[in-house]
Amino acid sequence: MAVAFDAAAKADTFPKLLVRNARLYGSRPSMRHKDLGIWQSWTWAQALELVRAYAVGLNRLGLKRGETIAIVGSNRPKLYWSVMAAQMLGAVPVPVYADAVADELSFVLAHADVRFAAVEDQEQIDKIQSVLDRLPKLELMVYDETRGLRDYDHAKLRAMDDVIAAGRKALAADPKLGEWLDGEIAAGKGSDPSIILYTSGTTGASKGVVLSGERSIQAATDTVAFDRLTEKDVALAYLPLAWVGDHYLNYAQGLVAGFCMACPESADTATSDLREIGPSFYFAPPRTLEVLLTRVMIRMEDASALKRKMFHYFIGVARQYGERILNGQPVPFTGRLLYWIGNVLVYAPLKNVLGFSRVRVAYTAGEAIGPDLFAFYRSIGLNFKQLYGQTEAFLYVTAQPDGEIHSDTVGPACPHVDIRIADNGEVLFKSPGMFIGYFKDAAKTAEVMTPDGFVKTGDAGYFDEKTGHLKIIDRAKDVGRLNDGTMFPPKYIENKLKFFPDIREAVAYGDMRDFVTVMLNIDLTAVGSWAERNNVSYGSYQELAGHPLVYAMMEKHIADVNSAMAADKMLAGNQIKRFLILHKELDADDGELTRTQKVRRGFVAERYAPLVDALYNGSSEADISTEVTFEDGRKGTLSARVKIADMQPVAISGTLGKAA
Amino acid sequence: MRAPDGPPVTAGDVLLSIDNVSLSFGGVKAVSGVSFDIRKGEIRAIIGPNGAGKTSMLNIINGFYHPQEGVITYKGEARAKMRPHDAADGGIARTFQNVALFRGMTALDNIMAGRTLKMRRNMFWQMLRVGPALAEEVEHRHRVEEIIDFLKIQEIRRTPVSRLPYGLQKRVELGRALAMEPELLLLDEPMAGMNIEEKEDMSRFILDVNDHYGTTIALIEHDMGVVMDLSDRVVVLDHGIKIADGTPNEVKSNQAVIDAYLGVAH
Repeated sequence: MAVAFDAAAKADTFPKLLVRNARLYGSRPSMRHKDLGIWQSWTWAQALELVRAYAVGLNRLGLKRGETIAIVGSNRPKLYWSVMAAQMLGAVPVPVYADAVADELSFVLAHADVRFAAVEDQEQIDKIQSVLDRLPKLELMVYDETRGLRDYDHAKLRAMDDVIAAGRKALAADPKLGEWLDGEIAAGKGSDPSIILYTSGTTGASKGVVLSGERSIQAATDTVAFDRLTEKDVALAYLPLAWVGDHYLNYAQGLVAGFCMACPESADTATSDLREIGPSFYFAPPRTLEVLLTRVMIRMEDASALKRKMFHYFIGVARQYGERILNGQPVPFTGRLLYWIGNVLVYAPLKNVLGFSRVRVAYTAGEAIGPDLFAFYRSIGLNFKQLYGQTEAFLYVTAQPDGEIHSDTVGPACPHVDIRIADNGEVLFKSPGMFIGYFKDAAKTAEVMTPDGFVKTGDAGYFDEKTGHLKIIDRAKDVGRLNDGTMFPPKYIENKLKFFPDIREAVAYGDMRDFVTVMLNIDLTAVGSWAERNNVSYGSYQELAGHPLVYAMMEKHIADVNSAMAADKMLAGNQIKRFLILHKELDADDGELTRTQKVRRGFVAERYAPLVDALYNGSSEADISTEVTFEDGRKGTLSARVKIADMQPVAISGTLGKAA
Repeated sequence: MRAPDGPPVTAGDVLLSIDNVSLSFGGVKAVSGVSFDIRKGEIRAIIGPNGAGKTSMLNIINGFYHPQEGVITYKGEARAKMRPHDAADGGIARTFQNVALFRGMTALDNIMAGRTLKMRRNMFWQMLRVGPALAEEVEHRHRVEEIIDFLKIQEIRRTPVSRLPYGLQKRVELGRALAMEPELLLLDEPMAGMNIEEKEDMSRFILDVNDHYGTTIALIEHDMGVVMDLSDRVVVLDHGIKIADGTPNEVKSNQAVIDAYLGVAH
């Protein structure tokens, strides 16, 4: 293994790593994809041959060193190979979210100056063609899925298979071409841009983060060693291709460690593909874990009484002993015995159903995770850990080592990462994988860098005294103050609410106000199932959201959060006084969430201004009419009358401490 | 997707013609003296108000009902009676107004059932699943997987159809009909009970089937927007009698059709 890491350190670009892997692990699988119901595999040697042919094919179409090429679509082998083939030529791939609407797509493609695009299918081609007038530089699209494209004008289109076949033929006909390609691979420098990842735009327009091969590989080498990943590991590549997480966890770590990346059959089959592949390395954002747990719980409600009893009893046992066993802490013999029985009867079958049977290392990140949710997965024996990072760092800044797991921290700094807390509480870092700069935006780059080379994360946090781990509380610029001077961290309050399975999304207001109010989105799966069991009939999300019983349920949750906050004197002033349940789900297509499903608070406040006003002017209901965007770009209007509920404040229990 | 085997289909040749067909149940005349034809490669719609005899017409075409009078000519062969298995052997497949799937079976098994007529080995060999029977099953499964991919229903492959929402059941039923690799596909209200998005999806699939496989399609549909967008030619029935026949635009402006749909003052 040590040999492999040395070699990885020497290979300073991804194409060089691909060549190395074909030599070291030539007959091991590099990629799997389920096609027509059967898992197809490609070894590292096959992948190298294919990518070489593809690179030659793209070069013959005109793609050259230093140019950009957009990659648009979901996780499919040919799109990953498009990334590799572009990098082999020294061109820079620019992945775009597959579900981006035409406007977002045209912004990225135009900003990145792409002449070429590698796209998945007809849907993406239609989307790009609808904004073609805004993309004068775009010359050619190569596509993976041929379906429905037969009658399209092929002046600007090529099938990937044809490009690869043409490249293969040219390579076979002219031996010098192969040498030329070897030269191109060798000519790639580690300091050259390797990829441009556009940020999701949590704060304003998205920016193109330029990463270099050398730094990316250095960062991935550190974490591969940290988690002892080898060529025998398997990961399921189901996260958006354009997200730094997928590029890091699957693409970069896969190439560094030489492990196999499996692509699901389609986005909808990821759950069953997970089960069939049984990955050993797994990443899931908290939201995915939440959805999975909700689904399990709903299915348990429908199980027979005996099974249900058994499930709940042993989940109780796991809660008591599971984490301690996982952390290697002392546990009484009876505890171990009960846990062992529970494992045979409940945990192992449950993990099997979820596709987690072989998971050795698992991470979650992106947002705060509920302590109960986190504890549940860990207690049944899954080694879930938290990490903290961002695109500018090429993901990792901190990560929890095995055995040092806390739900409210994100762990100590990763190997070779320096972290500093600025005077205003903002977290700054300097890491091996950090970005070169924002594409075509030196001003913004300068803005986020300190003079001594640290990157400003924009997150407020501090190092926990007990554990020495980093704790992130909110975006630095989002932490506000109530009119009475109490510190107001909206995210903290929202997360506390979102830990209830019934609440899908919460948006808190309070900065420069007298008190805190929230807007809620109910979780349709959880509340819908509750409604079914309690004979509450409803026709739509809107109707269910406005139901008096649902309001009563939310009131109970908010009361719980209020009493929890009342116990903490720092936060006691943040008790929620008024709330409402929104008549529609917040949606990325309407710009209310980012593509990574984070709430854009400012935008939501503007869009629902009448509701925010009503929360503060004492009225008991308010009318709202909003524009909604469908996936094909058409727009419609949605109007509703939303009720607003008042809460009784909880007495502050910390009074004694305050008096003293 | 692969085009069906056999000689290339030339649009325009008559694939099936109905001449002067009448059908009655006791004293009730369901269809009387109707004539029209279906040409190769076209999408032909049969429309009309409730009780106009549309479904009866479809049942006559695939041999479920036997008309008392008239001649049906399919692929140049005239017959007074068409039997269901003749129709299936001859490449006619259909879906039903009320979904008729094997409810306890998975989507995959339902579509596999559509391949039954194409199986060459007998049941004994199929049960043993060895040698040639196994190879054959693999080949059929491959075709079925192509259909699953075509209809984008990978995620419900292993789901019993009774657990599926209605729109997806309709899609599975279309898949089963496609598994027969039909030359003529009869669709009885393929969009009934669907929301707009499901209708758009289904329309896309119908057009794709017509385009990719070159399948001739005859469909009954109530949604006029869908009919006008999809079909090449429309035949209109009312009380068992043909009242109009032509392109969507011709039919739309036909006074008899307008009267039949909106009613006339008596």
